[in-house]
Formats: sequence, structure tokens, C-alpha cells
Amino acid sequence: MARKLRVWVDQQACVGNAMCESIAPLSFRLNDKRQSEAIDPAGDSEEKILEAAENCPVSAIFVEDAETGERLFP
Amino acid sequence: MVTVIQDDMFTADVIADPYTYYGRLRDEDPIHWNKSYELWAVTRYDDLVWLTRHHEMFSSAVFKNDPRPAYPDIDESDLGLYEYVKNYQADQFIQHDRPEHLEMRRVMHSYFTPKQMEAWRPFVQAAVKELLDAAEEKGEMDVMRDLATPLPVLVIAQMMGVPASERSHVRQLAEKLLYIGRGDYDRMKPLTEGMRGMIDYVGPLVDRRIVDPGDDFISVLASGEKRGIFTRHEVLVNTSLLLLAGHETTINLICNGTNAFLRHPDQFALLRKDPGGLAKSATEECLRYDSPVKSIQRIASQDVEVRGKMMRKDDRIRWFISSANRDPDAFPDPERFDITRHPNQHVAFGSGTHHCLGATLARVEGQEVFKALAERFPNLRTQANDGDLEYQPSITFRSLKSLPVTLH
Repeated sequence: MARKLRVWVDQQACVGNAMCESIAPLSFRLNDKRQSEAIDPAGDSEEKILEAAENCPVSAIFVEDAETGERLFP
Repeated sequence: MVTVIQDDMFTADVIADPYTYYGRLRDEDPIHWNKSYELWAVTRYDDLVWLTRHHEMFSSAVFKNDPRPAYPDIDESDLGLYEYVKNYQADQFIQHDRPEHLEMRRVMHSYFTPKQMEAWRPFVQAAVKELLDAAEEKGEMDVMRDLATPLPVLVIAQMMGVPASERSHVRQLAEKLLYIGRGDYDRMKPLTEGMRGMIDYVGPLVDRRIVDPGDDFISVLASGEKRGIFTRHEVLVNTSLLLLAGHETTINLICNGTNAFLRHPDQFALLRKDPGGLAKSATEECLRYDSPVKSIQRIASQDVEVRGKMMRKDDRIRWFISSANRDPDAFPDPERFDITRHPNQHVAFGSGTHHCLGATLARVEGQEVFKALAERFPNLRTQANDGDLEYQPSITFRSLKSLPVTLH
């Protein structure tokens, strides 16, 4: 079974580029301010979530292993 | 006394000091109908953020969707050239909306991730050192000619696999492409020369990368053609676009930022105390305070009411970074150049789905330049008097013609 992740988006940094939503649409969604929110860390695969984080143009996405606290991105 | 806001955005006053003019629009008429150019000028920070994040209402396919003639006016005999310009511009990925824009952007996106761009920092550092070594020997330099221009040209040329001997040719073509943002009545001729020259220049480069791909950026674009996402013309136009966008804006960041330090010696002294620690926030403040790009255009995709003004479908809209980044509702004491400003959520790179692809690269280049200047040249001084500095007559770019300094 896939490990559990903790995923969050820094709202101070997010510019609503929406690349994350296009890569991992089950894990990220734009809110009414058109900024990204991490809606479900189990929605997309870990690989997709990390791809979304890496492709954020302003590095606003953070990913951790929920159990160990290990930082997976950045 | 109330005076009418004049609509000519190319007067000497507005070019020299856009902040007073666009600031007045922001304070008095934030959604302003400019009769001369038939466009809405959007000047407030929150309106700009809202507008750029609602791409479904405001199209970026400006040249494809704009039914009106060129503005400001052009010579009637140049209408054929304007058609060429429209067709050329329309193939740029930034001139597309979703879903095509997303598909095109994703081809290039992985090359420009913050992590990938960070890997270029040592190359940028070495290039800055080389340019400053040459200037140090002479004891003076024109920041525009000797640092701000060669550095980003060198970096983007390296990314594109353009040989050193051809960089000056690329720069000459780029200078012609800058006529896109100018008001000259006869601007179509140099502009189309630049466009045709770029297409001619990058054609053979692309041909080679299609057959024999490398790890350069042109190969990334060429892979988009192989996958059926780009046509050949789109590859050529977007290669040209990235060659231009990859350096022109950064030129202005370096030059305008250095100018800001020259005019605020207290902030340069502060940077000198901790160049490594402050280079990041200093670069953000340079981006905010005297932004490289002044304004960007959209076309309304539908009727939409903003602050009681009715924008109609197909109306032209221009949003002004220059005024938004000095909006007192978004930035306390906005006219102050403060390199420790935090938070600093400026919109120098725009916002939303079209947020600048090369933002991280521009930041790396800015940080390394300001850090090196502070470390090496504590006595950096301007050779120009206030009011001597001249700017390019562009509505798009905030671009100095030259910035002479002494170093010792």
C-alpha cells in the first residue's frame, strides 16, 4: 500500500498557475481566489503529486511523509 | 482642480516616469477607457490579480481575436506587414488560451522548473564574474551595455545551443523585435525584419535538433513538433520568442535594479552588509519597484462588468504591472525602495496560468548580479545626473538606453 503523504500549498507564494491541478487534479484544486489547495493527498499517486510539486513555477507546494515527517519536496 | 487624464501613453513624461501617470489612473479611474487606443487600462493590484486568474474571461490570443487595427496608428502602406506580425505573434504559445496553451506550455515547463533553473546558478555566477572582471580593469562601465545585456543573452544562448559568435546577431534581431511595444508610426518595417530574421536564423538550428536532439531547449521545442503539439512554424516562432523573452526582461531587471541601488545608497549599504543573505529579497524588491515589464494585453472573451464599467466581448484590455506594484492597498509605503520588504507579493511576472515561465531564471540572474555588485564595488556610483537617464519609448518594457557608472 502506498505511504500516506502530507501535502500543503503556501498561499503566500501561490500565483494560481494551475500547473499542479493539471498534473494531479485529484489532489489539487483552485479555490475561489484561484489559488491552489491540496484537497486530497491520496487522490493522485505519489509520483503525480511530486511531479506537480516540482512543476510549480514558484515552489509553493510542500510534500512530506505523513508518518515519518520526512520532507519529500522540496 | 480636476484635469482630464490624457490618453497618449508615449509622451516623454509618461515614458520617463510611468509611475505618476499610471498611479494617477489607479487612484482616480482604476478601470479607465483609453479613447485613443480603444482599450481598458486596468491599474489596481487586486484587479490585475483577479483578471489574470480568470483566463476564461480574458483571452491571451490577442492578435488572433483583436478585430481592430494596430495601435497607435501605423502607415497605411504597412497594413500588409501588420498582417505578417499578427500571424507571427499568433503562433506564440503565450498567445493561446486553454486547452492549447496548457498543452504547449507543458512541453517547455519541465525545462524551466525552479530546480532545473537552480542548476544554472554556477554558470550565471561565472558569467557575472567574467563581465565584472572586464569592467573592473576599466574602472567604469555602462551597466546596460557591459552587464545587463550580455549576461542574459549569454545564458539564454547557452540554453539554446547558440554559438558565441552568433550572439550579437541574435541580439540585433531581438532589438528589432522590441518595436512590438513601441509607438513609432513606421515601426512595422523593423519589426517584421526582426521576425523574418529570427525565423531565418532559427530554422537551421531546429532542423538539426529534429534529427539529432540534445539537452538544449530547442530540442525540447522540437520534441513538441515530433509529438504533434507544435507545427514547424510554431517551433520557429516559439524558439524566437524564448530567445527574446529569455533575455529582454532580465536585461531590464538588472539595469533598473542597479539604478534603484544607485539612487538609494542606504539600501546598497544595507545589501553590502549581507549580500548573500539579502540578495533574494533585494531582487524581489527590484522586480516590484521598477518592474521590467510595464503592461500586458488581453481581449475580453465575454461581456464582463468590473467596478461598474462594462467591458464588452472583444474589447482590448491592458493591465499595468507598473501601477499594481505600487498600489498602496497592496504594499505599505509603496514608493519606498526597501530591500527587506516582506511580504512582497509583487506581480512583476504576472499571475495565473500565464505566470512567467522564466521567472526562476530571471531571479537567479538578478540575485547573482546584485550580490556580486555589492561584494565587489562598494564605491559604485552613477555617472548620470537625475533626469539624464533615457528610456526606450515602449508601452511594454521599462528599458533604459544606458546606465554609466564608475566602480572605484
